[in-house]
Amino acid sequence: MRILRKTTQGIFLLLFIFLFIQTESTGVDELGYPVKFFLDFDPLILITTFLASHSLEKGFYLSLSVILMTLIFGRIFCGWVCPFGTIHNMVGALKRHKGAEAQRGAGSLFRVKYFVLLFLLGSSLFTLQLAGVMDPIALLIRSFSISIYPAFNYMTRAFFDTVYEMDPKGLVDLSETAYTGLKGSVLAFKQPYFKQAGFIGLIFIIIIALNLYQKRFWCRNLCPLGALLGLLSKYSILKREVSEGCNECGVCSKVCQSDARPNEKGHWVSTECLYCWDCDDVCPQKAVSFGFNNNAGQGTPDLGRRRVLTSIGAGVVAVPLLRTTPLSASDILSPELIRPPGALAEKKFLERCIKCGECMKVCITNGLQPTFLEAGLEGIWSPILIPQTGYCEYRCTLCGQVCPTGAIKKLPLEEKVNIKIGLANINKSRCLPYAHATQCIVCEEVCPTPKKAIWFEYVKVNSRELGEFHIQQPKVDLKLCIGCGICEKMCPVVGTPAITVTSTGESRSDNNQMIL
Amino acid sequence: MDRRHFLKVSSIAGAGIILSKEIAAMEKLSARSSLVIATGSSPADITRAAIEEFGGISKFISRGDYVVIKPNMAWDREPKYASNTNPEVVAAVVGLCLKAGAKKVDVFDRTVNSAKRCYVQSGIAGAAEAAGATVSYIDDRKFQDIDLKGKALQKWPLYSDIFKADKVINIPIAKDHGIARLTMSMKNWMGVMGGRRDRIHQKLDQSLVDLAFAIKPTLTILDAVRILTDNGPQGGDLKDVKRLDTVIVGTDQVAIDSYGATLFDIKGSDLGYVRLAAEAGLGEMDLSRLDIRKISL
Repeated sequence: MRILRKTTQGIFLLLFIFLFIQTESTGVDELGYPVKFFLDFDPLILITTFLASHSLEKGFYLSLSVILMTLIFGRIFCGWVCPFGTIHNMVGALKRHKGAEAQRGAGSLFRVKYFVLLFLLGSSLFTLQLAGVMDPIALLIRSFSISIYPAFNYMTRAFFDTVYEMDPKGLVDLSETAYTGLKGSVLAFKQPYFKQAGFIGLIFIIIIALNLYQKRFWCRNLCPLGALLGLLSKYSILKREVSEGCNECGVCSKVCQSDARPNEKGHWVSTECLYCWDCDDVCPQKAVSFGFNNNAGQGTPDLGRRRVLTSIGAGVVAVPLLRTTPLSASDILSPELIRPPGALAEKKFLERCIKCGECMKVCITNGLQPTFLEAGLEGIWSPILIPQTGYCEYRCTLCGQVCPTGAIKKLPLEEKVNIKIGLANINKSRCLPYAHATQCIVCEEVCPTPKKAIWFEYVKVNSRELGEFHIQQPKVDLKLCIGCGICEKMCPVVGTPAITVTSTGESRSDNNQMIL
Repeated sequence: MDRRHFLKVSSIAGAGIILSKEIAAMEKLSARSSLVIATGSSPADITRAAIEEFGGISKFISRGDYVVIKPNMAWDREPKYASNTNPEVVAAVVGLCLKAGAKKVDVFDRTVNSAKRCYVQSGIAGAAEAAGATVSYIDDRKFQDIDLKGKALQKWPLYSDIFKADKVINIPIAKDHGIARLTMSMKNWMGVMGGRRDRIHQKLDQSLVDLAFAIKPTLTILDAVRILTDNGPQGGDLKDVKRLDTVIVGTDQVAIDSYGATLFDIKGSDLGYVRLAAEAGLGEMDLSRLDIRKISL
């Protein structure tokens, strides 16, 4: 059974990684199979999105299958499918856990995940969607997108670049062949760079390093999806039974990946059990069995009514706490908060965005970055376009295609090209033709709208060297400008560009407008 | 042999040598300053016919050559918008080079929009690969500082494959441009520039001349199957696209750009970079001094 489980886990982890790598432009308009597929199966995202936004994306009905599966087989998703769980298993295997360590934490820490779950449900009931911060799939995609995968790319590229530069005899051809192969398969087309890569990576590393303290620390104690499936698992049909043959040797408790108390007859806790079958495999007496007709007594985690109420209450209280910021006072947001094209109006956007980072992973120019506090604490790690990092590619619609919750609408190309995400403004005290009587047309050249939003006025200027002459000075046509930011990205006045985009004028807002 | 005889023979021989040099020079001049203009409904056919009329591909490409083809595929636009070189023209040239025995034909461009989208949406990556070319994305490690010794550009990183190649073929498209007025063959070399190349717009005409002196294309094919008459160089509105079903083949970039200007109803001398290039002796701007052959299919 263990081999079968590990194989299954491996297949799902590889599928996850495959889909993750696929979440990248191939140059055509439509993406094949984005990694949101895994989020479509995530019932925690289904429930919290529904509570917070009263809407559901089509794909999420797939997560009903996970609910059904759990009602039949228990937390089998955690034990056999979850790619994050598999990573925990792999990291946990790095250290030989002694019996005593395996027992560690069998106290009350496991309850924490239920409190996390209740907190998230409580806040989402009042439209605050924070589930993505702790949801294992969203967390995994975010950590991979923003931190782990960029780091992997950086390392690989650095290695091959070093070989290329050192040029050891005969090796370069070999290494370049390997490099080309990697570029065509697992490496990103361009090295991705993200703000907070170190921070988000550190959180990820701490979470997986906790496996060295206790196997599957995250899954046992923190994971809200695990808690949700655990609660469902209480009613599952498949149950574990221990026959009379058990001589209480305790081997099962040493291999147990959770706090399911397999060695305590009649107290096995189905909500904690990951259904990994390891206790069955190792039992020297062959006394353990999983079956559909088992009615053996089972323990339930005692959460305590007060703690339950406190957790839900904390989630509810978090709503006003996070929302009493000036950002919520009006829908005129900070000017640099440029959202991706197709993003819903800010309030609705935040009700749906689960900060999974898929839009950032797929963004073809690397322009979509995670926010820190630009959108308030509520909007942490939601997408913001930083034009100087990367502009919004005129004919690209990928962010809307991968968004799992509809926070960014999936738009047909004809619609997308008309969405304004902001407007460009020229800073005449820096712009070369204005401030320095130097010709430059870069913003106009790269402006992608069919009739260019940047046009020229032919103006007489004066320069110390050349005296009076005529020059083209750029102007922004606010009706045509869509705020894509390519002008800001390409402006030769580097550092503080002479043309910059702010969110003012974005289509999604009624009030963040400046002209009638 | 007596002295008189010697003088006689040697003077004849000398004259012969001088004459043959003269003839060679004249031939060279005529080769430099001739253009073939082909029109017809099939971009691939007119490309092949124009090159055949110009002397045939084997006059330019030898067996075993490493050939670099530089189209303009800087923009994320489909062929119908005339923002990038026509893919069928590129593919036809790739096919001819391979037929002439080229051992490798590389096609690349340093794009302005996202490289992957430009390569795919322009149709060039697909067409060139199908024709047997190696279509590669720009590898930043291959840029090398080149001493251009120009008036505007002194040192600039250029893509080294352009210099490693045995033969270079430039295949630009003729289109509108905000400051150059028109972008054709000389401006297409911006696609091999590294660094923050946008700065060259500040002294664009002279920079283009400096650049053109550094790169010696074996052959230039100007794609005017569709030309972009406004909102260039990127376009995006079919109203700005004019179908001319024409390609122009030559070896003199200045002559080609000068002729190209006439497609937009202006003169070569209206373009600053063409004028500067002609003055600097890079090529012939005066169309009346060119041998222009027109064929139509």
